[in-house]
Amino acid sequence: MNRLSRATLALAAALSVSHSLAVTRGGQLVYGRYADSLFLDPVLNDANLDIWILTNLYDTLLQPTSDGKGVQPGLASRYAASSDGKTMTLTLRPGLKFADGSPLTAADVKWSLDRARQPEAGAWSSSLASIDSIAASGQTVTLKLKRPDPTLPAALATFNAAIMPQKLFTAAPGKNDAEKAKAFAEKPIGSGPFVLQEWKRGSYMVLKRNPYYWKKGEDGKALPYLDSVRFEIIPDDNTRILKLQAGELQGAEFIPLSRVAELKRDPKLDMMLYPSTKVSSIFMNNRPTLKNGSENPLSDVRVRQALNYATNKDALIQVVTFGTGKVMKSFMSSTTPLYDTNQKGFPYDLAKAKALLGATKYKSGFEVSVMATSGSADDLALLTAMQQMWAAIGVKLKIEQLDAATKTARYRANDFQMRTGAWTNDINDPSQITTYFAVYDNIESVHTGFKSAEIDKLFEQSQQELSRVKRASQYRRIQTIYQQAAPIVYLYETPYPVALLKKVNGFVQIPLGNNIFAGAWLDK
Amino acid sequence: MHTTYVLKRLLQIIPTFLAVMLLVFLLVRLLPGDPASAILGDRATTEIVERTNRELGLDQPLPVQFLIFARNLLSGDLGDSISLKVPVMRLILERLPVTLFLTVYAAVLGVLMALPLAVLAAVRRNTWIDGVIRGVFQVGLSLPVFYVALQLLTLLGARLGWFPIGGYGEGFGGHLYHLFLPALTLGLNLAAVLVRTLRSAVIEVLTAEYVEFARAKGMRPRVILSRHVLRNALISTVTLLGLNIGALIGGAVITETVFAIPGVGRLMVDAIFGRDYPVIQGLTLTFAVLVSLVFLMTDLLHARLDPRTELS
Repeated sequence: MNRLSRATLALAAALSVSHSLAVTRGGQLVYGRYADSLFLDPVLNDANLDIWILTNLYDTLLQPTSDGKGVQPGLASRYAASSDGKTMTLTLRPGLKFADGSPLTAADVKWSLDRARQPEAGAWSSSLASIDSIAASGQTVTLKLKRPDPTLPAALATFNAAIMPQKLFTAAPGKNDAEKAKAFAEKPIGSGPFVLQEWKRGSYMVLKRNPYYWKKGEDGKALPYLDSVRFEIIPDDNTRILKLQAGELQGAEFIPLSRVAELKRDPKLDMMLYPSTKVSSIFMNNRPTLKNGSENPLSDVRVRQALNYATNKDALIQVVTFGTGKVMKSFMSSTTPLYDTNQKGFPYDLAKAKALLGATKYKSGFEVSVMATSGSADDLALLTAMQQMWAAIGVKLKIEQLDAATKTARYRANDFQMRTGAWTNDINDPSQITTYFAVYDNIESVHTGFKSAEIDKLFEQSQQELSRVKRASQYRRIQTIYQQAAPIVYLYETPYPVALLKKVNGFVQIPLGNNIFAGAWLDK
Repeated sequence: MHTTYVLKRLLQIIPTFLAVMLLVFLLVRLLPGDPASAILGDRATTEIVERTNRELGLDQPLPVQFLIFARNLLSGDLGDSISLKVPVMRLILERLPVTLFLTVYAAVLGVLMALPLAVLAAVRRNTWIDGVIRGVFQVGLSLPVFYVALQLLTLLGARLGWFPIGGYGEGFGGHLYHLFLPALTLGLNLAAVLVRTLRSAVIEVLTAEYVEFARAKGMRPRVILSRHVLRNALISTVTLLGLNIGALIGGAVITETVFAIPGVGRLMVDAIFGRDYPVIQGLTLTFAVLVSLVFLMTDLLHARLDPRTELS
């Protein structure tokens, strides 16, 4: 070996050492949230406010990857499906412990998954519906399935499949599962990177590092690097930003998109725009008549297509998302697995819109009303811009501002013509958004009333299709049929805006929204 | 005599309480949208929403629901929050002291600002000093609370760094320090109301015959001010303050949001948006009791300051 290559090697070694040494341990990261969590039980909760904290407290057998497109080992170091796809075997890592130091066993896994998959267990139990029975022995957990299920790895990487300590949970006071969950959620113990230390509702929550966490950091020692994370609840956007700029916070979520450009220029901050699965659209009522019995122009597919072509997404992205969004081309976000990159969406084409509308009985236009969330500046900016765009084809858009609960009640009763809406995935698989947006039997395609026999059939097949290639082609077709039927107005995808002080490293928010603090560290 | 009066007034709170109880129970249920939908969000199926409503007892007929609510209330149980799944009583006990601290703090700051300035404006009435004082507070009165809050935050909090930006702090000193800006925001608003009325009250007293008489007797102006004018000015201040406590709590809803203070104002807003019936009911009842007590205290103080008041 000559001197030069030896020197290069030494330098490379030194660099890699210094790289791992650069990670500093300890300290507290203070993070500003826009609202507090409600209820910290992985099975019986529902809100993102809970989910995004739960993933720090509880671990799942498998985990979503940081790009949101795949699944990686979690508490289980290996998983394998039988050739007929009806059995899945998972191997637990050796020596796993909960945050109180008690061992995490295959029996805990069986119990947790059994609890999560019972039909009474909240809104999420259906993600584990294909499981017929669970067997636990030693380090091995065997899932017997009713049918092959390509979505199962993603489901096992989702918060509701979190592994909980059976003994501690059943020892919690309460007569039934719901009461025990209430008691246990006051002081939850999981095996995630952090454990709840203190929670003053509406004010702050402190998570301290779980000393028994299994995952190792760059320095070879157990993660997380931080001693603790403190979540401060600051509902007002401006206050959250002021607190960050004053150094009272090290990170703040839900930065209004209107302020992203300004914060990007702040030399003390890293203004992050993490790719999300968030898609915004206008849901249309596709039914021939409205709740009040009157005729609904939106039942004509050409009308719906015309409205889509008459919508200038690029302009809306500038007006509403201040340039941070991107055009939505499929009903699912481009970060969703099996998103079809060949989808065209509806490019802005006024001539086409006019021609489509001209072929209907609404040649000279019509009036249509849209429900917006009152107090939402985004909704108002969006809809007033659309008012002008659609006026060009003679469509008069009437904006109806309602508070969120009223709006929900109205469209749940199918009593609406249009409404604004956004969606984010919770599971690393396209099946979730598809059951909601495109499959009628779930909730009437998010109450649009859209129904396609072909999609229903394709979807059912795709739920058992183990070949990823075939599944991708099924989803390609689903996305195409949906686009041609245009039950919604396609708008845009938007990122998760998080502002961090420059001294914060290694934090990531994945497209599913999970905030990953395990690998975060602070410059000294 | 005072004791019987107080007892009588306290007893009078009970029918008020019952009326508020029935009213809020019905009003909350008149709101469109149900708690289950509000909690479960857009995606829940109809079955899940129905099941949740059943679990919460919201599928029962209204009279039955009211009877359960009333029965629990009589045993001191306000029920559990639907979204937070903890007893409402605990939530209120945790958060009410924060709002009360802020309200009292704001009232004290408001009076400390209003009293001397009102007297000064009255004594120097129709001079430029009077004009400036009245002008400044007139502007203050017309500015929305959230705007004043944000300006104070930006200037005294972020730019000068004198005060923390939001939060509640630890211990009495910590609360005083952390809540200074929000209390100042509310206090300024209150002072603006007080200054106007106080100034005219002081002017009225200053021109009253007994003051003229005192002055003629050769009593020193300082003594006149403290013995006659201030005492009378305080009477109207107390009444006004009492009447404004409701407004102060209303203002606290906004200030608590802007300054990230975990008080009942914010709890109420969240509960209304989330259709969290037990929390809305529990808080409304608490406010009703509080306001009744404040009115009672106002009357007592009034009687104390003005011996002519007859309590009956």
